Amino acid sequence: MADVREAILARLLEVVAAIPNMRSAYRNNVDITEDQLPAVIVLDGDEESDGANDVSMKQPNRPYNVQMTPGILVQVQDANAVIGSVIATFRSELIKRVLTDTELNEQIVKTGRFGNGAIRYLGCQTDVGWSRTGYAALTAQFLFKYALKPEDL
Amino acid sequence: MIDYSALLYDPIYAELGVPATLTAGAGAVDITVIDDTRPKASTSGTVEVRSVGPGAFARIPELAGKGIARDDYMDAVLAFNGRSWVVRSYELRGSPNGEDLGEVRFLLKEAALG
Repeated sequence: MADVREAILARLLEVVAAIPNMRSAYRNNVDITEDQLPAVIVLDGDEESDGANDVSMKQPNRPYNVQMTPGILVQVQDANAVIGSVIATFRSELIKRVLTDTELNEQIVKTGRFGNGAIRYLGCQTDVGWSRTGYAALTAQFLFKYALKPEDL
Repeated sequence: MIDYSALLYDPIYAELGVPATLTAGAGAVDITVIDDTRPKASTSGTVEVRSVGPGAFARIPELAGKGIARDDYMDAVLAFNGRSWVVRSYELRGSPNGEDLGEVRFLLKEAALG
C-alpha cells in the first residue's frame, strides 16, 4: 500500500513547516487569522495522468505517469517597506527546500520502475495589500511527476 | 441653507466620537474622531486571511481650525482608543456644504510596524 500522491503532500507539509521564521503551517486550511502569520499552506492541487493518451489494449491497472501540481501559499503581514524582501526570503527558502529535500526527491518521487520521477519549480504569483499593516502572499507551484501503480494502492 | 456641520456632524461626533491626538508637522493637537476600524479579509486564491482595516473619521473644519492642513495628513500619527496609528492614506467625504466642510476618513497602519 503506497499512495505516492499522499506521501508527496504529507512530506511537502513537513518540508515547508521547517522554513525558518514561519509561525504556522497547514494543509488545505483556507481560513487564516492574522495571529497565525507568517503562514504556509499546502494546497493539494490537481494532477493529470497519461491515461487519455494510451487507450490501448493495456490493462487499466497498468502503471501510469502522473503529474501533480500542488500549490504552496505563503502569507505574511509586516511593515509595508519590508514586505517585499520578507516574502522574497520565504520564496528562496521554499524553492531551495522543496527542490533539495532528499526524502521527496530520492525516496518518494523516484519510485517508478526506472526511478524516473521528477520535481520542477513552475513559478509563483504574488499579491500585496493592506490590513493593519502591510500584507503579502506568494503562491508557488511545483510539478511532481511520479508513477501511479494501482496495484500498490 | 442647512448647516450640516451644526445639524449633522456635531451631534454625531458628540455621541460617537472619541478623543484623539493627531501629531503632524509642528506639534500635536487634540481632536475628536469616530473609530472606523473594520474587519478586512485578504484573499489569495481560495485562502482568506482575516485582519482589520484600521480607519477613523475626522471633521475637516476641526482639523483646519487647529492648523492641520491637507498636506499634513500623510504620515501623521493618530492616537485614539488606546492605540497609535500612522495615516497611510485618506479619502475625503464631502458634505452638501462642500468638501471643506465635510469629513476625512484616515486610512491607518500600525505605528509600531509602519
